[in-house]
Amino acid sequence: MDKLTIHHRGVVALALVLPLLMAVVPGDARAIPAFNRQTGQNCVACHAGGQFPELTPYGRLFKLTGYTIGQRALPISAMAVVSRSSVANTSKSDDPGADFAKNNKVIFATASLLMGGKVTDNIGGFAQVTYDPYAVQAADGSYHGHSNADNIDLRWADRFIGPQSDLIVGVSVNNNPSVSDPWNTAAAWMQYVPVPSPGSSRFIDGSSPYPGFGAGGNLGGVSAYAFWNRSFYAELGGYRTARGLFSVMSAGLADADITRLRGINPYWRLAYSREWGAHNLMVGTSGMVARVYDDPLDTSDPATTHRYTDLAVDAQYQYLLDPHAVTAQLVYTSNRHRYPTAGASQPAPGDNLSDTSHLLRAKLGYSYQARYGGSLSWFSLTGSANPANVTFDPNPETPVTSAGQVDGNRTGSPATRGITLEAFWMPIQYLRVGAQYTAYSRFNGSADNYDGFGRNARDNNSLFVYTWVAY
Amino acid sequence: MKTSILALLLAGTALSTACSDIGRSRALDNPQVSATTLAQQVCSNCHGPGGNAVSPNFPNLAGQMETYVAAQLNGFKGHGRHDPAGFEYMWGLSRSLSDAQIKGLAAYYAAQAPERQPLEGRPERLAAGKAIFEAGVAAQAVPACVNCHGKQGEGLAAFPRLAGQHADYVVKQLQVFQRTDDRPEGSIMKTVAHALTAQDIEDVAGYVQTLPQP
Repeated sequence: MDKLTIHHRGVVALALVLPLLMAVVPGDARAIPAFNRQTGQNCVACHAGGQFPELTPYGRLFKLTGYTIGQRALPISAMAVVSRSSVANTSKSDDPGADFAKNNKVIFATASLLMGGKVTDNIGGFAQVTYDPYAVQAADGSYHGHSNADNIDLRWADRFIGPQSDLIVGVSVNNNPSVSDPWNTAAAWMQYVPVPSPGSSRFIDGSSPYPGFGAGGNLGGVSAYAFWNRSFYAELGGYRTARGLFSVMSAGLADADITRLRGINPYWRLAYSREWGAHNLMVGTSGMVARVYDDPLDTSDPATTHRYTDLAVDAQYQYLLDPHAVTAQLVYTSNRHRYPTAGASQPAPGDNLSDTSHLLRAKLGYSYQARYGGSLSWFSLTGSANPANVTFDPNPETPVTSAGQVDGNRTGSPATRGITLEAFWMPIQYLRVGAQYTAYSRFNGSADNYDGFGRNARDNNSLFVYTWVAY
Repeated sequence: MKTSILALLLAGTALSTACSDIGRSRALDNPQVSATTLAQQVCSNCHGPGGNAVSPNFPNLAGQMETYVAAQLNGFKGHGRHDPAGFEYMWGLSRSLSDAQIKGLAAYYAAQAPERQPLEGRPERLAAGKAIFEAGVAAQAVPACVNCHGKQGEGLAAFPRLAGQHADYVVKQLQVFQRTDDRPEGSIMKTVAHALTAQDIEDVAGYVQTLPQP
């Protein structure tokens, strides 16, 4: 089946050896990735309870002031994940070997190289390149790894602060709508870390519904923002295809995988934040309208664009008082996807001209001493049923095909609902060991027999255990 | 791709050079940056622009004794003060500060006006805290806080101001003094605090937060 290439072995070895190396390297071993070296501070200064990527109020200000606090340091960090996923049921599949190739196997799941830090007094940023060992599956079932540009956020910022007023302004050049946002209910940042390749762990939390913008990532964008008196935040941006000056934003992606946007597409964000005592609260809204070409290789006809209208309302509450860190997050998104009126994927008569979906996701997390912690998440995706998404043919006249088993959809509805529980332990601040369990009460529209072949939502319940290292 | 990175870098550097102002720098390794700029651009993130911290995770510095603030910054910089909160947050930030910047920061905070804290806590607990603060605990040979920190906890030279300090911060520091040697410059407090019970610590910390009394 899969071949653990030499490259894989090298990274697995690195992931295992790095913590040992770090333990014996003398000096300021507490300051691990690039930003820590720059400020000399511990993870807990910027990350709530030391948990990446959740930011503290200080972490948000560090980001909004352009990652420029401190002094220039070696701007490179790396992180790697070794994990094991187990799904509840692998029998209801015509080809478990292909559908669950990595089930119950310890794998090197993903690795990232991060470059981040201060460039000048007003400019800083971070750029992430992620390697997915299971990016491509060949016909013989073997996987091939691939690296490409992940999140990129380069910014210029200035701060006008006096005894009575505080205004931070900035411009971010980035490749993913909301990656510039300082709150962790933003689509780009509401996530469990680590997230392994979907190719290796298909039903774990990282593959369940999350807030997002229809246009996706690897775009070329510029946004301008202002944060006034640590209370009101506003950001307005525009995104286009990551080509020309922006081609670095999609580096490593094949032409056919680059999202082609028509023109400049607006993204906006408004938020109100309040801090009192050890508490802080944010309520906000964001949205984006994007027109995406159906065929990335053919952008000749404007009528072949999908139009995505995404609106989100989000709120985040934190209680941060050493040794406790409590975070509560809530996001509701409404997404409308209008299909092209011309071209290859013109809807067949009777099919939907547009689909709508609504997602509610909530998460409550706690960490103690930045060392032990856990969280509970709840997600519920609902949406219009679309006959075009039905993979199961109930007609007894036609030959039964197993296409669509496991990942299929009997009803055409995207409805998926479930919970995720996580517990973790960070023996040292650059190493996290965790276990996540995701349970589905509904998947692809149904609780039972969602694929038409007898597979139930609960058959997808998954356990995911991981070791995450960052240096 | 290389051209685009180069173009971005050039554009960024040009923009930055044009707009960079040392009066609004957040650089911690440039002795040219004034203490006031550092206090506002960097320290304010946790301690508030005027040294009044919103979160009890971070001490109020407004009106703090100049000698004391300078001693703490030097303690962080030289790693003499190594309580967890100290090294997690302050070692890195202070590592390249110049003597002049440390002096300037101490003067900046000493000159800020402390805000009064809201009155919290049950009256009997505040009364118990007041009793320890003003008279100590004779039976346990705990001296009165007022002896060194002043009648209203206003501080004196190397003895820090306690008036209006976050109770949670005072509790944690008393625990550091009592249980560890992480703050050697304050070793006198180990003797002072050794016999305080958890309740005593909570009471006296709750009381100092309410100071100065009108």
